[in-house]
Amino acid sequence: MTDEVSQSYSDTKLLRISLTNQTVKQQELTPELFTYYLGGRGLGVKLVYDQVIPAISPLAPENLLVFAIGPLTASSAPTGGRVAVITKSPLTGTIFDSNCGGHFGPQLRRAGYAALVLQGRAKSPTYLWINDGDVEFRSAKDVWGQEVSSSTDYLLDETNAKAQVACIGPGGENRVSLAAIMNDKHRAAGRGGVGAVMGAKHLKAIVIHGTKQISINDPEKLDLVVNRTRRLIKKDSITNNSLPVYGTAVLVNLINEYGMLPTYNFQEGTFNDAEGVSGEKLLERFFTKRYHCFGCPIGCGRISQVQGTEVGGPEYETIWALGPQCGINNLEWITTANHRCNELGLDTISVGSTIGCAMELMQKGYLQSTHEFGKTAELLNLIDDIAHVRGLGKELGQGSKALATRYNAPQLAMQVKGLEMPAYDPRGVQGHALAYATSNRGGCHLRAYLIGPEILGSPVLVDRDRVEGKAGLVILFQNLSAAMDSLVLCRFTTFAFSVEDYADLLSAATSLTISGKEFLKIGERIWTLERLFNIREGFSAKDDCLPPRFSTPLPEGGSRNRVSHLEEMLPEYYRLRGWDKTGQPTKSCLKQLNL
Amino acid sequence: MSLTVEELVKFIDHTRLKPETKRAKILELCEEALAYEFATVCINPVHVEYAIDLLKNSSVDVCVVVGFPLGATLSEVKAFETKQAVQKGATEVDMVINIGALKDKNYDLVQSDIKAVVSAADDAIVKVILETGFLIDEEKQKACLICKDAGAHFVKTSTGFGPMGATPYDVRLMRETVGPDMGVKAAGGIRSFKDALRMIDAGANRLGTSSGVAIVEGFRWAGYSDTFLEPDKPCWTCPSRQASLGKQPKEVYLWYKQRCVTCPHRDQNVFND
Repeated sequence: MTDEVSQSYSDTKLLRISLTNQTVKQQELTPELFTYYLGGRGLGVKLVYDQVIPAISPLAPENLLVFAIGPLTASSAPTGGRVAVITKSPLTGTIFDSNCGGHFGPQLRRAGYAALVLQGRAKSPTYLWINDGDVEFRSAKDVWGQEVSSSTDYLLDETNAKAQVACIGPGGENRVSLAAIMNDKHRAAGRGGVGAVMGAKHLKAIVIHGTKQISINDPEKLDLVVNRTRRLIKKDSITNNSLPVYGTAVLVNLINEYGMLPTYNFQEGTFNDAEGVSGEKLLERFFTKRYHCFGCPIGCGRISQVQGTEVGGPEYETIWALGPQCGINNLEWITTANHRCNELGLDTISVGSTIGCAMELMQKGYLQSTHEFGKTAELLNLIDDIAHVRGLGKELGQGSKALATRYNAPQLAMQVKGLEMPAYDPRGVQGHALAYATSNRGGCHLRAYLIGPEILGSPVLVDRDRVEGKAGLVILFQNLSAAMDSLVLCRFTTFAFSVEDYADLLSAATSLTISGKEFLKIGERIWTLERLFNIREGFSAKDDCLPPRFSTPLPEGGSRNRVSHLEEMLPEYYRLRGWDKTGQPTKSCLKQLNL
Repeated sequence: MSLTVEELVKFIDHTRLKPETKRAKILELCEEALAYEFATVCINPVHVEYAIDLLKNSSVDVCVVVGFPLGATLSEVKAFETKQAVQKGATEVDMVINIGALKDKNYDLVQSDIKAVVSAADDAIVKVILETGFLIDEEKQKACLICKDAGAHFVKTSTGFGPMGATPYDVRLMRETVGPDMGVKAAGGIRSFKDALRMIDAGANRLGTSSGVAIVEGFRWAGYSDTFLEPDKPCWTCPSRQASLGKQPKEVYLWYKQRCVTCPHRDQNVFND
């Protein structure tokens, strides 16, 4: 790997923004930051690790909120339109990166910035208007309290119709731990409560308009690699058929067949009415058109129509969270509820999962409530209450861990490190279970998407029940994800690309000549630094765990009689990571990674 | 097994045999074959001239299928089809055996059918598709010996349109029957690099697949984790698992299922793995 920093990428700057003082300061993207952390998630993690005071409240003004793009953003690389949001999470207390599609990232790059580093707290509601490098702090009093679509429309009227808006809704304004940051009205940096951090800074929105040309180190080489990688996307059945036709909701029927579609708060793995909430049914009943994020040839996004209104989504995880997780089989209601979450700026996964938790608390007699599994009555009001911190909604807004703990049943919260787990029951996929438990941001399916090899056969099918070899596989995908999130490219490209393809794209776009193995090493460094942050915040091996429910066999379906064998895999995972038995990176591990 | 990407591509007949194939797909197939340097493109005879033109002055040969996919046409027709394709430039011919005659134990007819094609093929390589999904082991072995006697160069497992695809079990059986000097081509259902490596390990020296690009691209992952190449549960690759009463003659289906009764891996044959 060459140490020479990319001339093409370093023409972007870091923009430090003090909301308290309403000042901005540009900084160079140093060679160390670029070559060791690339951009996006890696860059943000490094900044947050170095500059956030340990043990600080995530909602304190001193917490950083970083919006970062990567060296492939706004280039012709497929899916090069994403942006990473990095902070310390109010939901988990861990370091957190939340990744968002749409069209915000390319505008940030074209405005000349690799990252916006936000700190402090504005005295009153504010939005940032960034126009090709000019930064204005503007009053947001006219949109504070408004929902996402109306806020977005208003801000575009106030600035430039061609700009992009990343904003929070009432959820973020009220510092709800499940609050998201929304872009393009329905694309979300959804998880971990990043919207609450933005709300705590009294920052309603960032509106950005960038028109500068980006420079590419070797345009001809990039064209070659881009043509090749686009061809690979066209050749892969998942990226060329399943996702474009059905969206991510194509997974509903499949995962249900495997008996891994969590139902009734993970009490079961098969939902009898899965067909009614499937991607196929969405296509038949509500689909109007596909939605493509910037530079994406896949187009997995959905625009649906319910009750005469066009709305974004819903995605697979949302359908599950607001559907089977709560025992709900009404796809029209799910689509509407998804839209309400988007408008309120809430993470659909955590909202649905926490409602499911509340339903089980009520079912088991821990909580007095009228919200039963399968009943949609008053649930839209409950979602509104979450965003506005009212009644039971106020309790749900702190997430399932806090809710279940409050009612003396912490075992009923389906979470890891405070983050609600998504739509795959880990009992049916041993590698994915390990990925959940060891994820640095908590219960997440995207840190290492082992559903690829264990269920979808991508790149090749491996035995989902085996525990041998899974630690190495999880580490491979965790490192790859960390590096990929630093480019910043979409996770779905892994169905079509191999590791070398990412390295080739990076090498062509910048002057950083790099191999696949070196690319993974960058991912390993980022992963380990995230681990160090979490250890500094008091997390340890005891947090690399799953809820006790997953030691009990599933009663029926395609994964019946299965339990998670996490304890058999963890020691191997730590050993292969170069960590000691308590999950702490060893000195030699840190030295090898230049940490 | 240590195999490089450069070696793997030479095993592959890059295949497109669907009836609705348009010229644009043949163009794409040939461009991919050139880019990856596959052994051949395997196509229906109607596309042979176009493919020959696209692949001229390259290392990629053109393979056509004959009597495809049923094998139930007249020997004269198979021979004529072969002659025409070879005259137009095909250098490999994959013919389908007379399956009905084989099941009737009319071995002379089976052999003369193959000989007619071998003769018409001149110097071109002839591969004989057994369509193993219609056969029990004794019939596969007998067919292999007939092919060898008739002067064919390869025996091949399946058309991809029949009741079963290739399995390592069948490939191994065919290799043991024909010996080391004759070719064995595995075809049908080979979609991943793991499938491909299993067939090569069982004795195949040619692979027919429409997933050549995915196989080669996927193979690049193998260098990053040994777990990708861990052995599968035995039933995953067993032909008895693929047996289907809806697609196979009853006696053939029952023959395959009878094997499960005495299989030492029977306990691992669960529906939802």
